[in-house]
Amino acid sequence: MTKRLYRAGTDRKVLRRHTAMLALATALGTTTALGAFAQDITFWTQPQGDLLAYQDLFDELTSEFREESGINVSVEVINWSVAFNTWLTVAQGGAAPDCADMYWLHSFSGIGAGRYGPMPITEYRDRWPTLEDDFYEGALVDVHRNGEFYGIPWRVDIRPMMYRTDFLEEAGIAAPPDNWDEIVEQGLALTERDDNGNVTRWGFALGANNNPAQTLMPYYWQAGGAMMSEDGRTATIDNEAMRTALKFMQDLVHVHQVTSPEIFEKSADPLADFTSGNIAIVGSTNNSWPSQFDRDYPELEGTWALEINPAGPTGNRDSFSGAGYWGVLYGSSDVDACIDWIQFLSEPENMERISEVSGAASPRRSVMTSELWTQRPWQAVMAETLNYGHTSQHPSAVWNAIASPEPGAVLYDLVYNTVIGGGDIDSAVTEAQARMQAELDRASGS
Amino acid sequence: MTRQKYLFCYLMVAPAMLITAALGIYPMLFSLWMSFVEYDLLRINEFGTPFVGLDNYVAVFSDPRFVQTLVNTIIFTVLAVAATLGFGLLLSQILNANYRGRTAMRMLVCVPWFVPPAVASAIWMWLLNTDRSPINFLLQDLGLISSNVRWLTDSATWGPFSIPMMSIVAVRVWNGLPFAVIFLLAALQSIPRSLYEAAEVDGASLIQKFWYVTLPMLRPVLAILITLLVIGGLGSFEINYIMTGGGPQNLTNIMAVYSYQQAFSFYRFDLASAASGVIFIMTGFVSIFYLRSQLKGVA
Repeated sequence: MTKRLYRAGTDRKVLRRHTAMLALATALGTTTALGAFAQDITFWTQPQGDLLAYQDLFDELTSEFREESGINVSVEVINWSVAFNTWLTVAQGGAAPDCADMYWLHSFSGIGAGRYGPMPITEYRDRWPTLEDDFYEGALVDVHRNGEFYGIPWRVDIRPMMYRTDFLEEAGIAAPPDNWDEIVEQGLALTERDDNGNVTRWGFALGANNNPAQTLMPYYWQAGGAMMSEDGRTATIDNEAMRTALKFMQDLVHVHQVTSPEIFEKSADPLADFTSGNIAIVGSTNNSWPSQFDRDYPELEGTWALEINPAGPTGNRDSFSGAGYWGVLYGSSDVDACIDWIQFLSEPENMERISEVSGAASPRRSVMTSELWTQRPWQAVMAETLNYGHTSQHPSAVWNAIASPEPGAVLYDLVYNTVIGGGDIDSAVTEAQARMQAELDRASGS
Repeated sequence: MTRQKYLFCYLMVAPAMLITAALGIYPMLFSLWMSFVEYDLLRINEFGTPFVGLDNYVAVFSDPRFVQTLVNTIIFTVLAVAATLGFGLLLSQILNANYRGRTAMRMLVCVPWFVPPAVASAIWMWLLNTDRSPINFLLQDLGLISSNVRWLTDSATWGPFSIPMMSIVAVRVWNGLPFAVIFLLAALQSIPRSLYEAAEVDGASLIQKFWYVTLPMLRPVLAILITLLVIGGLGSFEINYIMTGGGPQNLTNIMAVYSYQQAFSFYRFDLASAASGVIFIMTGFVSIFYLRSQLKGVA
């Protein structure tokens, strides 16, 4: 009896042990199976506008997307100060996310050479069947390379003209310049000097930053020029359009003296000069300035306005435009999940939310015609300027080296030596053409 | 020492040595290797890194911008070191004297040291901005100038000298002076007073005391200080890059900035490494010169 009881107790112990092991195994198995089915992707982005608000928005978006699709997106915000080096490392095979908010498609693709960096997603393009109708043309150029589709543009750096309405009114000028001749006329009327001849207000600033290449581009396009052939293999800057653009810029500095000769120096600060009244008109302003003025300079309300860029001698009003885009990277662990995420982000209402928080102009037409972008007069001008947007990116991997804001870069030297240095335009253009061709050959492996 | 003690000593320095090797020596050797191969980011995935011998060095020395940069670097270093030493000697003497408020004075002199070069550059960019410079306003109020001085942008030159270069040197000296002063002050305080008393008994003047007592006693410290300042000057980067980016017209460009531009603006890591290689040779030469003199002293 005792023996039977003992055996029964032992059997129960064994049974309990087996049951516990089974339960543990089931639990572990379920967890493992769930882990195998869970989709996790990483997404990197650079902040726009207020950092905290931008992060909060992406928290909301990832949460909504997870509910909708079951895919978990881990978002990492990359500070702009390290963004370039980060993407340069990614393009060389460094640690990369599955998908990201990127820029400079041609350079980073060229460096990655089909192994690292941005990955074409042409086979997914039909997920956006009305892409051409929904987005501005200039922004779409920035997501295509060698006929391949790389992603969805989500922000545009578009650069209309910005001017001080109070100074124009003082000078009896009814409307800002509409063409190059009027730039000179109004520049002369608006430039002021003190008794010693020191300029206290420059009538016209060519651009909103000290990058000579970015400053040159809209004027060159407005004069009818193009930087290179469509295949990115032939430099096309040795022409009359380049001479016309450079002469116009050179005359503003040296002949009419309505533009500061220090515009390309590191110490130049057009934003501070514009807000403090040292500049009356900025020909090609920074995309972020208007929203920054609304936020940080309420005291200047009513003293500034935007206008589409003045027309060049050919009647062209091309404006500097550059788009940031959402794309997928080589090595992505789950391309389909990334495409779903990008498709989710590119929905009109989500793009409107992103545009609202970031303050960045949207390449999606419906956002720019929504209530969000029609509340203030400058917003309407921004939307109108997008119709004249000309991509600042060109189809060569070496483009960003050619257009670098550093001395020694082809366009830096061309613009600086002629516009500021007053050098001979003909010989400078000829030399720049040869140097640019050598750079394009370098990139194309010739 | 016993073998165990040796082992303990090696173990203690091993972490520091490993970190130095991984973060200092390996990157330096890798950079030197890059200077002898083609390391063009736009071609590397297609063409690899073929050995090119001294081609990269030939390429940088054939670039007039680099030659100008090399000259600028030497001028910048010589001026910055000379001015730092000159002012350092003067200030350390003042701070070493006995007077009321000496502690406050010492603190004031050290203030620029607490300002990181990047922040110092931003402050001085504003102070030296042509149209908004308070220095220009002051000089005009005093009637010393009638038109604004273009501190950072005037491209007029006098040989290899220019106003922007002098301005950059001044900022470098301002930022680096406390380091020299602290060094020299510590050395001054270690000079026995009896030497000055003996010199006074012999009727030495103030200048004679400085020349025959102070300077010889400061020699070992001066040698270290000069070496460190020269090495720092040759590899200087932040102030020039932030304040002028090497401009106007390459007048303030120095080798470290040139190297950075080649690598991160033009994707030519090979040419950047060659330029860095030149800096390495120059600083190496200074270091060897210093070590040899030190070893002679020990011997």
